[in-house]
Amino acid sequence: MASVLSVRDLAVGYGKEPLLEEISFEVPRGEVFAILGGSGCGKSTLLRTLVGLQEPLAGRVHFRGIGGPDKAMTPPRFGVLFQSAALLGSWTLLQNVLLPLRKWTDLPLDAATVVALARLRLVGLDQAAHQLPAEVSGGMKKRAGIARALALDPPILFLDEPSAGLDPVTAAGLDELIVTLARTLGVTIVLVSHELPSILRTTDQCIMLDRAAGGIIARGAPRELAERSPDPRVQAFFHRTTLPPS
Amino acid sequence: MPSPGFTLAQIIADDGSPRLVLAGSLTLADGGALWQQLRRALAQQSIAVCDVSAVSRLDGGAAALLQALAVERGRAGAPLRWLGASGEVGRMLALYDCARSGSCAPVEPPASTLLGDVGDFAHGAWRTTQAILAFLGDLVVGVLAALRRPRTVHTGELGVLFERAGADGLPIVMLINFLVGAILGLQGAIQLHRFGGDQFLANLVGLSVVRELGPLMTAILVTGRSGAAYAAELGTMTVNEEVDALRTLGQDPQRFLVFPRVLTLLCVVPLLTVVGDLLGSVGGLFVAMTYLDQPMVVYLQSLQQAVSLGDVGTGLLKSFVFGGTIALVSCQRGLATRGGADGVGRATTSAVVVVLFALVVLDGVFTWVFSLLDW
Repeated sequence: MASVLSVRDLAVGYGKEPLLEEISFEVPRGEVFAILGGSGCGKSTLLRTLVGLQEPLAGRVHFRGIGGPDKAMTPPRFGVLFQSAALLGSWTLLQNVLLPLRKWTDLPLDAATVVALARLRLVGLDQAAHQLPAEVSGGMKKRAGIARALALDPPILFLDEPSAGLDPVTAAGLDELIVTLARTLGVTIVLVSHELPSILRTTDQCIMLDRAAGGIIARGAPRELAERSPDPRVQAFFHRTTLPPS
Repeated sequence: MPSPGFTLAQIIADDGSPRLVLAGSLTLADGGALWQQLRRALAQQSIAVCDVSAVSRLDGGAAALLQALAVERGRAGAPLRWLGASGEVGRMLALYDCARSGSCAPVEPPASTLLGDVGDFAHGAWRTTQAILAFLGDLVVGVLAALRRPRTVHTGELGVLFERAGADGLPIVMLINFLVGAILGLQGAIQLHRFGGDQFLANLVGLSVVRELGPLMTAILVTGRSGAAYAAELGTMTVNEEVDALRTLGQDPQRFLVFPRVLTLLCVVPLLTVVGDLLGSVGGLFVAMTYLDQPMVVYLQSLQQAVSLGDVGTGLLKSFVFGGTIALVSCQRGLATRGGADGVGRATTSAVVVVLFALVVLDGVFTWVFSLLDW
C-alpha cells in the first residue's frame, strides 16, 4: 500500500544537540503505526517534529499527496492529540471541536454544530458536549481531544500517549476507537506510546527508539518483535524485564 | 468560489414518487453547499428517498450532515431513507448514524435566565465572603499554633518574597505616589491660588497623602503586583495538585504558603507606604516650587506644622491592615481555584476585584472610626 508519510534521515533534538539521528520510516495509508521506546528516548520530540512544531536538525518529513507540516494559512492536513489532550479550558467540549470547523469550513453554525456533535458522538461524548474540560475525567478529555483532532476529517492522526494514565476499560475503548478510525474511516494513525496492551491491540507496524543508541533499534509488527527480536532491549521492553548489566 | 464536487438532482422514480439523487464526492470542504442544497430540497415533505449509489466519496463530516438531516426529517414525521448506500459510503453512514450510539436526542446547553444569573451571582458572592471569613479564622488558629511551634512555619522563602513585593515594587510605588502628589498639588494650587491660600498647599497635599492617598495608592499597587501574583501562583499550584502534594507530605498549605505571604505584606506594605508618603509630599513640593514659586523651606515648614506623627500613624495602621487583607484574600482566592488555566485567570481576577472592594470599604471604615475618635 502507498505510504502517506515518509521520513528520511531525520535528526531531532533540542538546540544543536541531536537526541535521535538517522530516523527513516514509511507509514502506509490506513495503518496504525507506533513509535515505541522507553521514557525520555525522544518519542514525543520526534512526534513534535513530524507535526511541524519543532524544526528537524537534519533530514525531511514528507506527506505524500497531502502537503507537508502546515505552517501556511491553509487548513491543517492532520489532527494531533496531545498527551494532556490540550483542550481549551474555558471552552466546552463542543466549542473545542467547533473551533477548527468554524475556522476552516464554510459551514453555517447549525451545520458545524451538527458535525461537531457527530464527532463527539463518535467518541461517546455527545451527552457531555456542554461540559467544560475541568468537569470531565481524563479519559473523556482524551476522547474529546480525538474528536477535535478528527474535526476536519484529516487523513492522518498523530496521537501522543493516547491511553497513558487511563484505566484498562477506558484504554480498551480508546484502542477500539483507534482501530475503527483506521479500518472504517481509512485514517492513518501515528501514535506514540509505551502501553504494551494498547500497542499489541492496535498497531500494524512500529519502530522502537533507544536513547543510548540515538535512533531506531528495531522495526516491524509489534507481535513479531515481541516474539522474535534478538535484541535484548526490545525483549526487555515487550516482556517488561530489566536489561542485563552490560 | 469553486463549484462543489457533488451534484444534487430531483427525479421522479418508477413508482411516481419524487426522489433525490446525490452523486460525486461529498466532503466537508463542500459541507456548506451540501447542507444548504439538501435542506432546501428536503423542504418538500413528499421526498422520502435519497439515492446515494452514485456517490464516489463520502467523508465523516459530510456523513454527519446527511445523517443529521435524516434525523431532522424523522423528527418532523417524514423519515428519509438512503438508497444504494453500500461499500465505504454505507460504512460511513452507519458510523455516523446516531441510532448506533443509542440516542438521537438533541443535546441542549444548560438553560440560563437573568433571574438565575442574578441568583448565581448573589450566591457566589455570599460563598466567597464565607470562604474568606473561614480562611481568616483558619489563619488565626494557625497563627496561634505557629506561635506555640514557630519551627513549623516555612520561612525559607521570606527573603525572596520580601524582595519581590518590596524592593522590586519600590520604583513603581515611588513614581505613582510622586505623580499623585503632584497632580493633587496642582489641582489644589490652582484653587488655593485664586483665594490667596498658597501657604495651605502643604496642608492639603501632606494630609491627603499621609492619611488617605499614600496608603490607598500603595495598597492598590501592591494588589496589582503582589496580590495578583499570589493568586495566580497559588492557583496554578492548586490546579497542578502541588497543594495536595504538600498536604500528603504533612505540610499545612497555610503555614507553608500563606503565612510567609501574609507576613511579607504585613511588613512590606507599611514600609512602601512610608516611601510613598514621602514621594507624594515631594510631588506637592515640586508643584509648590514650580507653579506657585514657593520656596522649599516654606513648603517644608508648612508640611511639618500640618502633618503630625499621629497622621502618619493612622496611615500606617491602615497600610498594615491593607497588607494583611491583600495577602489573605489573594491567597484564599488562589487556593480556591478550580479547573485549569481559565480557573487561574478567574481566581486572579476575583482576587484583585475582591481586594480592591475590601480596601475601599476598609478605608471608609477607618476614616469613620478615626473621625469618631477625633484622630
